[in-house]
Amino acid sequence: MPRRLRGWPDLRSDAVLERLESWFDDNGWSAFAFQREVWNAYLNGESGLVHSATGSGKTLAAWLGPLAEWMAENPPSPLGEGRGEGSAPPLRVLWITPMRALAGDTALSLQKAVTGLGLPWTVGLRTGDTPTSERAKQDRKLPSALITTPESLSLMLSRPDAREKLSELRLVVVDEWHELLGNKRGVQAELCLARLRRWNPAVRTWGLSATLGNLDEALERLVPLNKGVRLLYSSEPERIKESDPFIQRRIVKGVSDKRVVMDTLIPEDVDRFPWAGHLGLAMLGEVIEAIEGARSTLVFTNVRSSAELWYQGLLEARPDWAGIIGLHHGSLDWDARKYVEQGLKEGRMKAVVATSSLDLGVDFSPVDQVLQIGSAKGVARLLQRAGRSGHAPGQESRITCVPSHALEFVEAAAARRAALAGRIESREPVERPLDLLTQHLVTIAVGEGFEEEAMKAEVKSSRAYRDLTDAEWQWALDFVTRGGEALRAYPDYHKVERDEDGTYRVKQPQIAKRHRMSIGTIVSDASVSVQYMRGKRLGSVEESFIAHLAPGDAFIFAGHNLEFIRIEEMTAYVRPAKPGSATVPRWDGGRCPLSNEVSAGIRELLELHIDGLEDEPEMRAVSRLLKLQHAWSRVPRRHELLVEQAQTKEGHHIFFYPFEGRSVHVGLSALLAYRLGRVRQASFSLSFTDYGFELVSRERFELLPLLRDGLLSSENLLEDMIASLNAAELSKRQFREIARVAGLVFQGYPGQPKTNRQVQATSGLIWEVFARWDPKNPLLGQAEREVLERQLEFKRLLEAMARIGRSPIVIRQTHKPTPFAFPIMVGRFREKLTSEKLADRVRRMQLEFDKAAPPEGEHAGEIGEQMSLLG
Amino acid sequence: MIECVIAGERVAMLRERALYWPRGETLFVADFHLGKAAAFRSAGIPMPSGTTTDNVTRLASAIASTGARRVVFLGDFLHAKASKARSTEAAFGAFRERHDKVELVLIRGNHDESAGDPREDWRIECLDEGAAFGPFIANHHPTARQGGYVLAGHIHPAVRLSGDGESLRLPCFWFSPRVGVLPAFGAFTGSAVVRPREGDQVFVLADGDVIRVGA
Repeated sequence: MPRRLRGWPDLRSDAVLERLESWFDDNGWSAFAFQREVWNAYLNGESGLVHSATGSGKTLAAWLGPLAEWMAENPPSPLGEGRGEGSAPPLRVLWITPMRALAGDTALSLQKAVTGLGLPWTVGLRTGDTPTSERAKQDRKLPSALITTPESLSLMLSRPDAREKLSELRLVVVDEWHELLGNKRGVQAELCLARLRRWNPAVRTWGLSATLGNLDEALERLVPLNKGVRLLYSSEPERIKESDPFIQRRIVKGVSDKRVVMDTLIPEDVDRFPWAGHLGLAMLGEVIEAIEGARSTLVFTNVRSSAELWYQGLLEARPDWAGIIGLHHGSLDWDARKYVEQGLKEGRMKAVVATSSLDLGVDFSPVDQVLQIGSAKGVARLLQRAGRSGHAPGQESRITCVPSHALEFVEAAAARRAALAGRIESREPVERPLDLLTQHLVTIAVGEGFEEEAMKAEVKSSRAYRDLTDAEWQWALDFVTRGGEALRAYPDYHKVERDEDGTYRVKQPQIAKRHRMSIGTIVSDASVSVQYMRGKRLGSVEESFIAHLAPGDAFIFAGHNLEFIRIEEMTAYVRPAKPGSATVPRWDGGRCPLSNEVSAGIRELLELHIDGLEDEPEMRAVSRLLKLQHAWSRVPRRHELLVEQAQTKEGHHIFFYPFEGRSVHVGLSALLAYRLGRVRQASFSLSFTDYGFELVSRERFELLPLLRDGLLSSENLLEDMIASLNAAELSKRQFREIARVAGLVFQGYPGQPKTNRQVQATSGLIWEVFARWDPKNPLLGQAEREVLERQLEFKRLLEAMARIGRSPIVIRQTHKPTPFAFPIMVGRFREKLTSEKLADRVRRMQLEFDKAAPPEGEHAGEIGEQMSLLG
Repeated sequence: MIECVIAGERVAMLRERALYWPRGETLFVADFHLGKAAAFRSAGIPMPSGTTTDNVTRLASAIASTGARRVVFLGDFLHAKASKARSTEAAFGAFRERHDKVELVLIRGNHDESAGDPREDWRIECLDEGAAFGPFIANHHPTARQGGYVLAGHIHPAVRLSGDGESLRLPCFWFSPRVGVLPAFGAFTGSAVVRPREGDQVFVLADGDVIRVGA
């Protein structure tokens, strides 16, 4: 039992705790030790982080504390009239969830406890899906507990009366905190928490998370240690002066005795297994067999297009499964997803093909097997997905990997070894994103307004902005008030204005309205709704995917073959495609790179293979392939960099194999192409996989002298890296998200008034305008930093460079693509980087004429329609 | 500068993104979008200043290099009502004073319809689509017309070039048999990819060079 914290009333009433225990008994459960620990700590005034697998009772652990607190504060009336006199308490608990889809299930389980304990509490939802009528009702009176998303919470803070509405708040629960931690939505949650704590320093925060490699950091982000600020948090209470009020924090480990079985489907004829590709249905037969052998199976794929293909493949092979197998991914319409989830819960589904959309939340007890198509790419993800099976107490979780090409056998074995050794990845939090800061400042200015010094202190009390410099703060404030630095104020621009009393406020209702509409858009891509011409909505996809389609193109979506007709006001209209016209979708939603733990595992396994020490079944399956690789080139040792050079009619190829994951390879390939291009003018075509990357050029480069001259040196690394990612236009693309968050791009809505169109521009165009006329704008710098930190995992890239710098480099000339080279050559990720002049490149290129263009007038008219957005 | 023959007339494509017709001493400029950044700013979207100055400077440079006596704006001269901001008007007003002899003509485009005609003291003659200049008919929308070769804007044309393992998208001049479309002149304008047909003449703008890429 923790020492009681000074300043907190003793709320651990024995009668109340007994009542909780007896409610567990009534349901035939018994409380886990970790659940008791959490609610006792809460009652003792502590905050914290609970980590364990999904469905292990974290929700109740966090929920029963505030209920017990309320029961202790409102004892049953001695006259026997019951507790609380029937009227629901005002808002006391905010429950933040990363996914709207989870909110409904969370509400049900919270409500169940309220009803079971006979409390007058109300539980409500407020997300992007909440109907206006319900919102209006909440605006009159908020429920006792509100389940919401970071965006909707931020939107609540933009209301002038938010402080008053939240004055009784006791607890903020952040559910699935690991999902928010690595992105800007997590930072948005941090900013909101900072504000809530400023309003009420006694608010406690509990995070619920899956197990991570950096739990301490996850806790620090949620409940920052802020010496000298209004609150004092400490893990060393004895050092704190008697007079200081403080909130102690702790990490609680949930149930951990769940056994996880991880294995791999190995085909009989492994030598004919493809060397590359991630969509192939090579193992369809084995997968069908596995599904037959289990009660209910979840089939996870990494990308949505692959989920669509597997679903179709299964249906074609087993038409009798129609109706008992389903498809689930984040782009499908809510109804379709709900139907599948319900079927899983009730045990009606034999199998469901899903993407990460089913990684979280909902408890599917009947599922007894998980299949992972392709590699899970990360240990945390593998364990998370495994945990979706064997939910009932005493059952084991079971996940079987289904490689889609040969090297994924190695990945599967590496991921399992890392999982068994407890090497779980960290989630890197985002450091002080300025776009989000400007958005937040406008949000508060729309709400009750802010005073400069107090707001700065509040923002800096969040861990994400602790290191915010005065210059950055000043810039952000200038950006929302004057548009730019003081000396270069943008004319005719007034977004946030300063009152005579020093309060910053948004005064123009139009600007306030537009801002409120854009708060919910911390996503990298706008989504476009997919709909039949005759009306039925199928779901939504990223704008960038639709942008790649031409009218008449066919693609697979929501289990249908569709033909794209046209896009109009954020809706893509489609019709059923003619039979046989299906193209493979170029749609990669949800792809993620190989994690550091799995890559390290692969390098280790290859070393063990060379020494003949490995005993994993997966490695035996690929031993012939590895022998071939070694005969044609080499299998690199753990601390060796293999480089292959080859010539084909495409040009001169250089392959590097750092085995560091795709994002690091994107960065390294751009860096090397940039450095080679400085040696002599050249254009490179780059491609990369999780294992290595390739540079193709028209001329041959002699690598040995170049390597000796520092081609892979860490000197000037940052400068060269930034120059190369500008050359590859990577930061321009990253700017999409920044432009949206900072309110530079206003996403269209169906049926919006046309007047908005005159202030719409693509983020690419805005990037060009800033790059040319305000090149020092920190938002451009942020785009560079985000590319480095998030897309290219720069920290990992630095470590990789350091490792390579210490490693012997082995260069092999090869005559045909080796087993390692082949997947890179056929990979679909190609970039171009050049040091040649634009005019010289244009002169070598061809204009593709339209051979089947419609008559000119009509053609121009169609383009004219699309243009009205850009004009 | 690069020349070609359109509708029997010699014309020149300028790096400034304008078309010059020497016999008529006329410069054609499409989609100027004056004050677009100002319209964004008035809606609370911070855009740096510089685009208007660039528009005006480039127009002055095109006039200086050709000696044009007349400029025909092929529609979308003003971006929006909110574009009539003080800073924008000052910049164009100063240009007008320095070029007070040049005849300015505006063929009204869709943006001008909602923005309204420019200030009277700028002395810009405002016409609807279909005005004839020698063999040319000035339009905003690229629609073929009887009685002449149409010069137009509106679609901000760009083409996609490919080859040598890469693909580039560049703004262009696009001359089909009956309609010629100019690239958008405005510094703060996007572009849309068009697919010219075989036989069309196409010139791309590549970092200050004008390069013929088709026919």
